Amino acid sequence: MAVLAVFLPPLALLVSGSLHRPGLPPPTTPDLLPSPVSTEGYRLAAELGGLVQATLNSLLVCLVAVPLSVVVASMAGFAMARLPRRVAGWVAALSLVALMVPAVALLVPRFAVFRLAGLTDTLVPLVAPALIATSPLFPLVYYLAFRAIPGELWEACAMEDLSPLRTWWRVGMPLVRPATAGTAALTFVLTWSNFLDPLVFLYDRELFTLPLALRSLATLDAADFPVFLAGAVVATVPALVVFVVAQRDLKGVSR
Amino acid sequence: MRARALAVAALVVAGCAGTEEGSATSLLVFGDPHELAAYRSLEAAYEKANPGADVELVEASDRKDLIARLSTSIAGGKPPDLFLMNYRFYGQFAAKNAIEPAAPMLAASKALQADDFFPQALEAFQVRGEQMCMPQNISSLVVYYNKDLFTKYGVALPRAGWSWDDMVATAIALTRDANGDVVKGVDFDQPGAAPTGPPPAEYGLAVSPELIRLAPFAWSNGGRLFDDDRSPTRIAFDEPAVAALQNFIDLRGRHGVVPTDQEVESQDDEARFAAGKLAMLMSSRRSTTTFRAISGFDWDVAALPVYKTPATVLHSDAYCVTRGSSDKAAAWKFVEFALGAEGAAIMAGTGRTVPSNKAVAQSPAFLDPGAKPRNAQVFLDSIPAVRATPTISTWPEIEDVANGILENALYYNQPTTEVVRWLDEQTRPLFERANK
Repeated sequence: MAVLAVFLPPLALLVSGSLHRPGLPPPTTPDLLPSPVSTEGYRLAAELGGLVQATLNSLLVCLVAVPLSVVVASMAGFAMARLPRRVAGWVAALSLVALMVPAVALLVPRFAVFRLAGLTDTLVPLVAPALIATSPLFPLVYYLAFRAIPGELWEACAMEDLSPLRTWWRVGMPLVRPATAGTAALTFVLTWSNFLDPLVFLYDRELFTLPLALRSLATLDAADFPVFLAGAVVATVPALVVFVVAQRDLKGVSR
Repeated sequence: MRARALAVAALVVAGCAGTEEGSATSLLVFGDPHELAAYRSLEAAYEKANPGADVELVEASDRKDLIARLSTSIAGGKPPDLFLMNYRFYGQFAAKNAIEPAAPMLAASKALQADDFFPQALEAFQVRGEQMCMPQNISSLVVYYNKDLFTKYGVALPRAGWSWDDMVATAIALTRDANGDVVKGVDFDQPGAAPTGPPPAEYGLAVSPELIRLAPFAWSNGGRLFDDDRSPTRIAFDEPAVAALQNFIDLRGRHGVVPTDQEVESQDDEARFAAGKLAMLMSSRRSTTTFRAISGFDWDVAALPVYKTPATVLHSDAYCVTRGSSDKAAAWKFVEFALGAEGAAIMAGTGRTVPSNKAVAQSPAFLDPGAKPRNAQVFLDSIPAVRATPTISTWPEIEDVANGILENALYYNQPTTEVVRWLDEQTRPLFERANK
């Protein structure tokens, strides 16, 4: 309840703001009930910001990147959990070092690599981080989740002649569903809100993703704030849906 | 194995959405959605006039985004063919040798001559006398004013050649409380200062505390901001510049005619003006498009107040051809079109820019009698008095640091001796880095 009290008012203001009529001077104090209620902001956001295309692009990127990233993270985590403790510790330490490298430091080398591969101005550079699980954090989450499962189970699987791949998929994954829900939600948010990569790698506005479109709407005049807020609502709703779905999964297993 | 299959699948999916790598001339610009729409119509007009030509517009939202894109793509070896950049920010790219000088292309051009342009704008984009980029516009700082508020309170409109003191008196007369009474100059932020009446509901003036806003007044007072205007090595305000700074700070600390920082945070100057709660606003041509949407009152523009000689500060963006461009001739051809009569008229039609092309600036494309501001001639009259800030490579960082200091100075009424010392001390490493 307390969490709701903190997070609900900004969302309510966001939605109410997006329903104001654009082109009027912004009110100095927020008024919750716009009069008249207008969806003009949404129409203008679609028209000026190319919001529809941007939403589709963002969804496409997430649909490919999130499952891919979760699969890579869980496989890596599973493999780490089967390593001798000492070796796994070293891998974990290396992951932590990788976590500390700021993304900006890698920007120019990444640009050069994708340019050589002829992949700038495509969505590939936005999906590519999924091949290394998006963030070193996620394999570690899976590593901890798989390590918590008693080793006898894996030995039993080996006796049954299950291949490591089948053990991972048939036995391991169903046992770590909360980790999967959490990782998927976080990966979605990271990918969905990724601003820097599309800024640097995309030129064609037909390929722009939501954060870029939203940034463009943010430069509108103050009188057009409902247009910007309409874009913000469109960008926020999918993230909320993903969290609600993920939360159900998290609760379901912990009970 | 599986990961590789998935990777291939990802490439295929994403590749479908990608565009073909072609021989299009890429142009990197920034602007809000309306401004970008104008660039798109410019692109369309160019492609129509030159069948077979292909221009790809690369759109950034603001200057920071544009610089991020540009720096990464230059460092990564694939810059756009052309980019549009303000003279205050292009120095770093000129210093990194990323710009192909425009001088030889301009000399060989049949479509454009140097004489077609306002020399003040051309000069801002020269390095050691060599023309680097071609200016697209030439704006300057002017005073936007709400005509209805002047009429309502019976205050005389700003005249050409009005003085700083005239402006302060006008601003005081227009700073009113909710009852419409003149507010006495009390700074409510000062510790221990008891408000003597209701706080202002309408302010007489707004000006953002920035170096480029202060500079024209220091210059007008015969002052100097740097030790050497051509190749500055530090900020060094002389006496007339310090006097202009003191008067600038007094706008808040002594007269209370500009909004407090809390008020600016809650409603920015343009929004306050558009809401009819601000009588005068110092800004460049950029504000015009925003204000054209105003329906509640009449507004116009006036020249900046003058201390001794008229002075204002240059705002100008230019087309720069990159050194890494694969087809510089095609890029230059687009520049010729964009800055020629047809292209310049398209951009002037947005109302946002003052054309750098003299003929277009004096044509109805800019001086449209049917469009506000009626007194658009002010922008052209200001041009002889326009001056540019230095174009050293670390200038954007110097501005950032200086603006932070000036903001505190204005809103917390700090003593000028301290302010000038901080300006010098905190920006000196930046000057040193530029002059290495």
